Amino acid sequence: MFQAIGAHGPVLSPLAELLLDVVLLSSAFVLLARPTKRPVFDSLFMVSLVVSVSLLRVVMQPLPNVQPVTVAALLVGAQLGARRGAAFAVLVAMISNIFIGDGWWTVFQAAGWASVAVAGSLLPLVTSSGLNLGRACMASIAAAFWFDFIVSFSILDGTIGFYEFIIYLGHGLPFDLLHMVGNLTFAVWLGKWFFNLLEEEPTLEEIEFAVVNSHGIDG
Amino acid sequence: MSRRLPALLLLGLLLLPLVSALEEQNEWEEDNTLAWQYEFDSGYISTSPLFTGEQILVRTSGNGEPAVTAFDVEGEKLWQYVNNRSTNNDMSPLLHVLAGQGTCGVWPEMVLVGWTDGRIEALLPSSGEVFWSTQSEVAGWGVTGQFALDGEFVIVPTRRGIGQYCLADGEEQWWTQTGLAWRNGVAVDESGYFLGDESGTLWHVDRMGESISYPLQLGKIRHTPLFTEAGLVLHAQAHSSSTVAVIDTSDGSISHQFPAGPSPAMPSLRGSFLATGDSSSLQIFSCTSLCEQVAEVPFHTNGELRWFDNNAIIAPSNTPDSNWGLFTFDGLDNLSYAPLDVGIYGYGTASPLQFIHEEEMFTAFGNDQSILRVFSKSVEGDEPQLYEFDWGVQGLIFIMFLLIGSSTILFLNGKNEWFFRTSSLFFLFVLLLIFPDISDQWSKAFDEQFPVDASAEQWDEQWPDSWLGTQIIIIEIDGEEHVVGGLIGHETVYSLTQDACEKLDFQLSVESTEIGYYIQSINGIEGKGWEFFVDGSKGVVSADSSTIESASIVRWTPV
Repeated sequence: MFQAIGAHGPVLSPLAELLLDVVLLSSAFVLLARPTKRPVFDSLFMVSLVVSVSLLRVVMQPLPNVQPVTVAALLVGAQLGARRGAAFAVLVAMISNIFIGDGWWTVFQAAGWASVAVAGSLLPLVTSSGLNLGRACMASIAAAFWFDFIVSFSILDGTIGFYEFIIYLGHGLPFDLLHMVGNLTFAVWLGKWFFNLLEEEPTLEEIEFAVVNSHGIDG
Repeated sequence: MSRRLPALLLLGLLLLPLVSALEEQNEWEEDNTLAWQYEFDSGYISTSPLFTGEQILVRTSGNGEPAVTAFDVEGEKLWQYVNNRSTNNDMSPLLHVLAGQGTCGVWPEMVLVGWTDGRIEALLPSSGEVFWSTQSEVAGWGVTGQFALDGEFVIVPTRRGIGQYCLADGEEQWWTQTGLAWRNGVAVDESGYFLGDESGTLWHVDRMGESISYPLQLGKIRHTPLFTEAGLVLHAQAHSSSTVAVIDTSDGSISHQFPAGPSPAMPSLRGSFLATGDSSSLQIFSCTSLCEQVAEVPFHTNGELRWFDNNAIIAPSNTPDSNWGLFTFDGLDNLSYAPLDVGIYGYGTASPLQFIHEEEMFTAFGNDQSILRVFSKSVEGDEPQLYEFDWGVQGLIFIMFLLIGSSTILFLNGKNEWFFRTSSLFFLFVLLLIFPDISDQWSKAFDEQFPVDASAEQWDEQWPDSWLGTQIIIIEIDGEEHVVGGLIGHETVYSLTQDACEKLDFQLSVESTEIGYYIQSINGIEGKGWEFFVDGSKGVVSADSSTIESASIVRWTPV
């Protein structure tokens, strides 16, 4: 579905592009802005996560519609929650598009991946024993279609009718299929590893609190 | 397209060894040495020689020696059968028939010959003895077209009709009148026979001899129609041009057509690829669900075209001092040309004969000078070369086998997680490799099923008639329309735009993005961007992904 917009979508002026980037960046910071016990560690962790997944996307860009970011956004949402998942999605879309190509579509990509991250936080992907791989695979397949669908709205510039939009969606089905198989491959190969990587280590205070709490109950 | 293109490049890299192997064909003259030659007293060699497995048979005709002559592979003349009553140029290709039997009786291995005096004869290739002979109608000329076999019958296109004859004894089963024709061959399918005539009518004749005519009005049909997945292909000859047309055999309608140069050659099919030629160029079409032109090089050929090994085509050049042309097609869209000097020059319409006999590959050339030259080369050393170049592809296939093998073993051992891992990777590889074709075919099929209604771009009466049926592009700059027409062979809006900008001397500035080629500026005009319309419909994919028909009108307008 995310094959291409016509000659181009709505063309943005440099000022509009700047405003768009500012809005996206601000929304990412708003989503990330919350009290944390380990601000430096959490910030470094998020930065390294965003940079590495962005680079992965840039490296894999030659493969048509193989999108590692979709599965990553899903798992970040599932493990770190909707806010940080959405912030991760917005930042990855922005940073990777610096290399791949920035424009109107960045907004839709950011929205698509952010919605996937939110869905990841809401779906029961995490069980007491960790990531439920079966559910994660199903979710990653659905996420492929959902993301492509959201991004397809970027072609709407007021001149394309509903029928033409449906035709456009139909043209993109092979791309959706490839995105789906790519997601499935990422999920089964790297899903658990990536999910465990995101698992938050408890702070010393949290450990101490848990121990004291436990003794209190015993006593 | 930014995703399709790299996938194509990846596929191209994988196929690079094969392409490199094909380039060996350009060294044809170095690899092949003259084995022998034979000069006939007079006459023309107008059709390809024939190899029966033992003998090389050559037919000559025209201003003398209307004959079929047999040689062994060493060049020794074995026999000659002369038909002095055939006084015109014999153009009907020889047809080799293996021994068999049917309700009409039994027949031995034979060579069938059609003569311009109307005779149809079956010769024994070992001796040249006539096994049977039968007379067909003559209207100035007799038989000039290509026969076709249909079970125990041979189907013969005569001057004004078509007849069915028993292979066992030559007895005519029926003859049906069609149209006055010349050099028209017969194509056979499950519904019967197809052949064309000089008035441009395509005829369908069933196995009982009942005929239906489809007046196509495209020009003279002087070759055997060819069956492709897209439909029946014809190359019709008009006064100073020609048309390659694809016909829907269910109702005789023209599915699509391509303009071509004057005096067409006899087209030739290999798999889904069609080679056509005329006095201006040699073209390759890819005919799957639709036919589309994929390659073209300038060349002058009017006779028989034939595909040889490694996607090579050798075509006679029908000009006064001409030789042959060697064309190598890479199976995608690259067609290279190299002149082939075989030591005989002048007019010619016969394609060469190529065959392998006892680890020697022989190629026999003949032309209107009545000189037969036979070249040979050893084929012993060819196979290791192919293996040498295939290692990349073999490696990939090996990995795919490993993945599918591992998947099976893991599945049988109940290791489901690893089974899903290996099988998903396998399917991803497969999908990536076939993706460009899948995507392309899907888009075409989708477009056919769900055409976008739009106010079609109107033909401008001020445009020259020669632009009719060609690709036209309009570029609007500052309210002024810059129009280029008469373009052919472009498959995408981008390709057409590039060509038009070159012709208009406009600079085209393009940026490759993830979502396709982005047209930054045309002739230095950036504005707020550019958008295009194909036949009135706004482009919804990038210019390099947007395919166009052979007669499309593309309009570029600034936003």
